Amino acid sequence: MNYTELSADLVKKCLANGADAAEVYLAVNRELSIQVQDGELETIQEASTQGVGFRVFVKGRMGFSHCNDLSAGSLESTLKQAISFARLTTPDEHNVLATDPATTQVEGLYDPSVVDVPMEKKINMVMEVEELAMQDSRVTKSSGSGYGEGETEIYLANSNGLQKHYRSSACSLGVSVVAEKGEQKNTGGEYCSRRFFADLKPPEEIAAEASRKAWELLDPQMVKTQRAAVIFHPDVGRSLLGGVISALNGERVLQGASFLKDSLEKSFASSLLTLIDDGTYPKGMASRPFDGEGTPTARRVLVDRGVLKGFLYNCSVAHRAGTESTGNASRRGYTSLPGIGVHNLFVEPGAYTPEEIISATPRGLLLKGVTGYGIDPVSGNFSGGATGFWIENGQIAFPVKGLTIAGTAQDILNAVDMTGNDVDLMRSFACPTLRVREMQIGGK
Amino acid sequence: MGKQKWIVRDMPRRKFLEIGLKGGIAVAAMPALLSRLTSCQTGPLSPGGIDMDKETLGRVIAVALEQGGDFAEVYLENRISRQIVMEESRFKSGLFGISQGGGVRVIAGNSTGYAYTDEIIEEKLIHAARVASYVARNGGSVQPVPLEQASRESFITVERPLKEIADEKRIEVMERANQAALDYDPRIKMALVDYNDEIRGRVIANSEGLYLRDELPQMFFIVQALSEENGRRHLSRERLGMHMGFEMFEQYPPEEVAKRAAREAVAMLGAKEAPAGIMDVVMQNGWGGVLVHEAVGHPLEADNIAKKVGAFTGKLGQKVASDVFTMVDDGTLPNMRGTTNFDDEGTQMQRNVLIEKGVLQGYMTDILSAWQLNMKRTGNGRRESFRHFPIPRMTNTFIERGQDEPADILASTRKGIYVQSLSGGSVNPVTGVFNFTCREAYLIENGKKTQPIRGATLIGTCMDVISNIDAVGNDLDFGPGICGKGQSAEVSAGQPTVRIRGINVGGSRS
Repeated sequence: MNYTELSADLVKKCLANGADAAEVYLAVNRELSIQVQDGELETIQEASTQGVGFRVFVKGRMGFSHCNDLSAGSLESTLKQAISFARLTTPDEHNVLATDPATTQVEGLYDPSVVDVPMEKKINMVMEVEELAMQDSRVTKSSGSGYGEGETEIYLANSNGLQKHYRSSACSLGVSVVAEKGEQKNTGGEYCSRRFFADLKPPEEIAAEASRKAWELLDPQMVKTQRAAVIFHPDVGRSLLGGVISALNGERVLQGASFLKDSLEKSFASSLLTLIDDGTYPKGMASRPFDGEGTPTARRVLVDRGVLKGFLYNCSVAHRAGTESTGNASRRGYTSLPGIGVHNLFVEPGAYTPEEIISATPRGLLLKGVTGYGIDPVSGNFSGGATGFWIENGQIAFPVKGLTIAGTAQDILNAVDMTGNDVDLMRSFACPTLRVREMQIGGK
Repeated sequence: MGKQKWIVRDMPRRKFLEIGLKGGIAVAAMPALLSRLTSCQTGPLSPGGIDMDKETLGRVIAVALEQGGDFAEVYLENRISRQIVMEESRFKSGLFGISQGGGVRVIAGNSTGYAYTDEIIEEKLIHAARVASYVARNGGSVQPVPLEQASRESFITVERPLKEIADEKRIEVMERANQAALDYDPRIKMALVDYNDEIRGRVIANSEGLYLRDELPQMFFIVQALSEENGRRHLSRERLGMHMGFEMFEQYPPEEVAKRAAREAVAMLGAKEAPAGIMDVVMQNGWGGVLVHEAVGHPLEADNIAKKVGAFTGKLGQKVASDVFTMVDDGTLPNMRGTTNFDDEGTQMQRNVLIEKGVLQGYMTDILSAWQLNMKRTGNGRRESFRHFPIPRMTNTFIERGQDEPADILASTRKGIYVQSLSGGSVNPVTGVFNFTCREAYLIENGKKTQPIRGATLIGTCMDVISNIDAVGNDLDFGPGICGKGQSAEVSAGQPTVRIRGINVGGSRS
């Protein structure tokens, strides 16, 4: 079946059945996952699926429906459901669809060879990464290793004449192990996700990292409740900045549900913080030529040296705010309406190596793991459980577990006083090592 | 986002349990069972084409076991869902979804093969069976038993089936909730009302000769309220979720859900910074049970026990908690969010006492982990949809009612934190280390609830928390939620008011 023609045809059918405007979002997926436990194949899962979502406007009212049965009869009855469901909703002049026919050229989204790598080779790779991660004598058990791959094709058409398509691939390899010492247990996991199979990190590297994470926190000590510096490792940068991204959601800003709602063009964070959203980065895991409703993606500075430069918009929220879509319509597959989200998020690297940041810290916490929700996008509160290393006199002294850290976004983000040069651009949330001058740390 | 799908399962950074509410749904308040749904219907389930005869299903199972294997199963599913979202007093969107498909699973030794298809036709299921049978090269050989319809006791009653409810009725309960939230206090600036219902049809057939089918309704209603005063904001949340018909809103009026959300939003506007350090914690009855759901429930799911990595591995029959602590997982509580008549492998739901007076009594199993551990099946084999194979999951999990008066528990606590509701949290099932974020909490000073505090985190290990519970109230209550473990599942969590001595509380004040 030619899905490009089908999606355009379905738009016409929506209009013929009473919609004033319509969008068809059709997704075709193939996926494979392999799990290994203790040198034995634990699970293999494989499937090919497809589905379509209809978004229609009837006299300004929006309706949405989706189905995963692409037979003509089922498609027709599903699109009629969207039209009849639209009568329930409130008319809204901001219900608009994407208009920009352009598509951004993004290199390296699809690797045709992912599917061609023989199953045996993939299974052996998963076995190997587990075996390698178990080689350190401090590592006593495996929680399993795994490989996953997927291919997705997106076909988008709407009644403004947009007709777009792209194809992407992804694969990942990872392992999780347990280190034990007496009654102590600690888990460590590492994985690598890439667009291209050949770009996956070698199993040796992934295994060594998982193994190190499992044993390095053995024999932790407890510290007193105190205020001290906290150095955020790149692995936990999301916990610090994820809430900022949510607070930039243009709709939450309009609703007053964002701690950054009045901060546009104002400095709200340290001048060391520059945040860039990039939907175009070659081979980026969150790169795509157009967003969840067809607007071309771009590279955009959200925060420039601590100054908020702009919010994130899809078409309807931009219309309401009196501006243009920023290409940030996010979509969790064909079953969901477009929301708002970022693509690849980069934090500009700073001047220091992570070692220099540690040695410049007389006393503090090198944060390697944090639990909880990070910064609350509504109130700006931050609170979480913390693990990592204690730093004394500019050196790592001992591991720590069972601590808590807390503060408010304003206090924490303004207190960022050193940033590292260690940004891994292959992460979809790429953050360097960041030091916060002082935070409340809860201990004994 | 799409990339989530490729993150390897079982990585430690997986995020568990979402959020919650204190649902105020007491088991004692359940209505008499009026019209139990039969769990083995004979008529057609739905127009979705899920009707497949036993002979066809038997042929698929036979193909699945052609290469060998110990067990094979076909699971067919059809879901019809509705979601309506109201924000800023406007009906923002209406979503209607149809999702159907079938999955074939083969177990050979410790290996599982699984494949699924969107199309419930013999050809596609046979193909899935061949793909799933890839693991069967690992040995085993079993002869499938001819399929025979089984019957299961039902715990779900429906008075007003969703199919007979006009969409205008759905809209009406949302409007009532929205208005009640806004009317509660002028500081409530906005309500977000999220209405969800779903009808899920299932067919399960396996090589043990089991053939079962049923159809269950599900409702989930969420009200969030945004308060603002002097630049301070709080977004609160309350949820209501049951397996029942539209009569849910007669028993639990939408206004009540909205008022509870609005009350929290206003109460927390005055919150001050939380203290940091090790403190006694009193947890109010209800959804707070999600703490033991995470801290103790997940480590008692048998998959990690079978891998010998779980925190409770090898501790069966041992004293693991204080004498006053009894914990139960019960999938038979009438109409509750974690209740079904049988799990997604066809095992009858039952009441499972996990820890009795501090002694570990059992784990929660699915078919595979029950085999691996040589234990009985407990009815905990659940799956998110036909796109997932079953794994051990909780249903309705709670701390059993105790002897203490809730007021006495508070009055006898000199200093600490009173947790009225939790947002949610997570646990590492191997180490038992958990964390929780408080949604609504207060200081306890001289046995009294005083100042509201914001942004408090509770952390600890499962073994410590259940050893340090020293008071259990007589006011057991439940709340509904969503549990995530690579796949999501509808659950409820419950507890009476309890006191936990010495938890590490993370606040921003020293």
